[in-house]
Amino acid sequence: MAMDSEKFLETFKRIEAQISRVIVGHDDAIRKVLIAFFAGGHVLLEGVPGLGKTLLVKAFSTTIGMSFKRIQFTPDLMPSDIVGTEVLTEESGQREFRFKKGPIFAHVVLADEINRATPKTQSAVLEAMEEKQVTVFGESHSLESPFMVMATQNPIELEGTYPLPEAQLDRFFFKLLITPPTPVELREILKRTTGAESSEATPVLRENGAAEINEMNTLLRQVLIAPPIEDYVVRLVYATQPSAHNGAAAPASVKNYLRFGSSPRGAQSVILGAKGNALADGRVHVSYEDVENVIYPSLRHRIILNFQAEAENVTADQIIAEVIRQVPRS
Amino acid sequence: MEAVRNNSERDSPELLIRGLVRKLSHHALWDVVLVFLPPLAAIFYCLSYLFLKAWISPLVALVAGIAALVIGTLAIIIRYRPKIPSIRSAASLIDDRAGAKDRFLTLATLPSSKANSSMFSRLRVEAAGLQSRIAIRREFPYRINRHMYVSLVVSVAVALLFQILLPLAHSKLRPQPAHVRLRELAEQMAMRPRLHETGLSLQALAAKLEEPKLPRQEKQILAQEEHKKIAAQMKKDTQKQDRELLSQAAGTLQELEQQSGDGERKKDQDGGGGGIQSNLPQKGKQQGNEGGGGGGESKGELNAQLNDDMQQGKLAQGNTKEQDRENNAGGKNSSQENQREPSKPGKDKNQERTGRSEGGKDEGVGRSKASDEIPEGSPPVERFYKPGEGESQGIKGAGYVTVQLPEELAPEGKGGGNKRDSKGRKAPSSQVSVSNVPLPKHLPDAPSEKQQMPLEYRGIIR
Repeated sequence: MAMDSEKFLETFKRIEAQISRVIVGHDDAIRKVLIAFFAGGHVLLEGVPGLGKTLLVKAFSTTIGMSFKRIQFTPDLMPSDIVGTEVLTEESGQREFRFKKGPIFAHVVLADEINRATPKTQSAVLEAMEEKQVTVFGESHSLESPFMVMATQNPIELEGTYPLPEAQLDRFFFKLLITPPTPVELREILKRTTGAESSEATPVLRENGAAEINEMNTLLRQVLIAPPIEDYVVRLVYATQPSAHNGAAAPASVKNYLRFGSSPRGAQSVILGAKGNALADGRVHVSYEDVENVIYPSLRHRIILNFQAEAENVTADQIIAEVIRQVPRS
Repeated sequence: MEAVRNNSERDSPELLIRGLVRKLSHHALWDVVLVFLPPLAAIFYCLSYLFLKAWISPLVALVAGIAALVIGTLAIIIRYRPKIPSIRSAASLIDDRAGAKDRFLTLATLPSSKANSSMFSRLRVEAAGLQSRIAIRREFPYRINRHMYVSLVVSVAVALLFQILLPLAHSKLRPQPAHVRLRELAEQMAMRPRLHETGLSLQALAAKLEEPKLPRQEKQILAQEEHKKIAAQMKKDTQKQDRELLSQAAGTLQELEQQSGDGERKKDQDGGGGGIQSNLPQKGKQQGNEGGGGGGESKGELNAQLNDDMQQGKLAQGNTKEQDRENNAGGKNSSQENQREPSKPGKDKNQERTGRSEGGKDEGVGRSKASDEIPEGSPPVERFYKPGEGESQGIKGAGYVTVQLPEELAPEGKGGGNKRDSKGRKAPSSQVSVSNVPLPKHLPDAPSEKQQMPLEYRGIIR
């Protein structure tokens, strides 16, 4: 049975509901995680400790019923600890090097506190994230499909952290900000975690869930998007370029506070995210609202603030909001 | 089956979008037409106004009208074309009104060949379901653009200003002749009971002034007389409106006087200007020319004659011939008595005059002699022409001097002449005869004459 939009929506809602059984609040984050997953992207979760980032990833992996690995990034973590290495093995009297797969070989990989590892180790996941393969001793090893890296990072720990390089940041489909819960949400969290009963997420997808997810990914890419909306996305992304040749189109805040604008991956992310958002809304076409809904997580880690912005506490989201205000829809 | 298909086509979202495009196009056309219509109407109004006033010829009016029409049409086309709504904008409008979340936009702009067919079909179905929310007539009624009101107001204002200001400008550029204005004023005055007579009089004057055969001098005199009357009435009349009319009439009459004077001056300029003409032989004429410098003085004294003060309290130096004769006959004038200084009681009036004349030869020798000297020789009866003898009047064999005033002082001289006339009339000539006695012989080696002390200062300066 071919995947259609209704089935997609049903599956999406079921996964969302299962995750929500474990995670209180963060509905938007859950939705965006699922969109990124069905779009074949990776997610960077940023938030202070204790907000449920790791729990969210675990619940998600449980719900989709896919293989899940967790990598705790530390300063002494080596690349081989992630991708794996050749080890000498002896089997039936013969010694040979065999590739021992690292934790990257899973459908869902949690890169916890990714900014605590050295850049060398961080870069070990670059190839995996983009090409869905790793190369060890000159030999490439394909990763399982679907493959998704969900990284978390703590924004307030500056001591002993290594900010992710722009190249790696660009590989994340979405950057989601995990915000503290509201009082109502906190009360619900306390009820769920301090009581006798504990709620667990149950898998939604069947055993051949990988195939189903791939179908969903294909369907998501077929969502209709009108050329004017594509133009709008192009203009939005182009407006984040503070370079001289684009000076006329860029808003003043972009010129003043940005060092670099979004890469084409940003535009791809916006379009695919908008399509996923449309499907998650039960529509088969993208609207302007979808674009504006996903543009923040798509671009906030792709636009590089300059020193003045950091000095004035100007955030990427503020600049994106300004860009949306400045760029007309038609 | 066919009917169902037609029905589905009629209800298709694409048709709705095209229908809206057509309607919005009509709206845009109306907007542009209504913006340009008032200026065009104003232009046509102005042209017709000019045409009816006969300020432009029919050909010019026709050409200008056609040009305005062509320019207006071009302007409408130029303005209309960018305002034609696109399918995209129409679809966006429908999306906004129907809350369709860009379904119509996607349907209208996305090529169906490049889209997933099942998704596209579903989108059409969804859009058709939302179509019921839209009634084009209800949702998109035509509203008059506010630019139309601005255009209308500006056009009406321009047309009104045109109608108000153009006649004013025209009258400034091409003022009516003075006699026409005088006639109009006369008509206005005739309608007022207090000025009725004056109005009739002015009408008669205007009629006379329009006669081409009437000489300019006569016209000037008539205007002067009427001017006097009006000036006198202005002093009497207290009503503001009447006074205004009278003052306008006075101004117009003054203008007429000036015009007549100008014409006369032109004539004088053509004839050689002021000077003294004499019928004496060349020798005498030479003397007359020498006295030409005093011609101006003579004029000044003629003006002085007009001054009442001079006439009453001071010596009337340039008095008429009759007055001179009277004085010469021995009649003592009170004014002469007043002028006679107490330190010289026995001094004869004639002596005094003679002395003064001698001291002031540059004022005009001929005039001084004429007023002071008694011709010697034969008795007076024999000295004059008898009726039918030669000249009709005058002194036998006497030369005469005619002073022709320079053009710039001619009106003053004439004005002075009015006062001298007992009937209030004066010969309309700039040639004022000052003397009919022969000019004294010219003496080339005669001692230079002294400047005579002005009469006013005689009692003060010694």
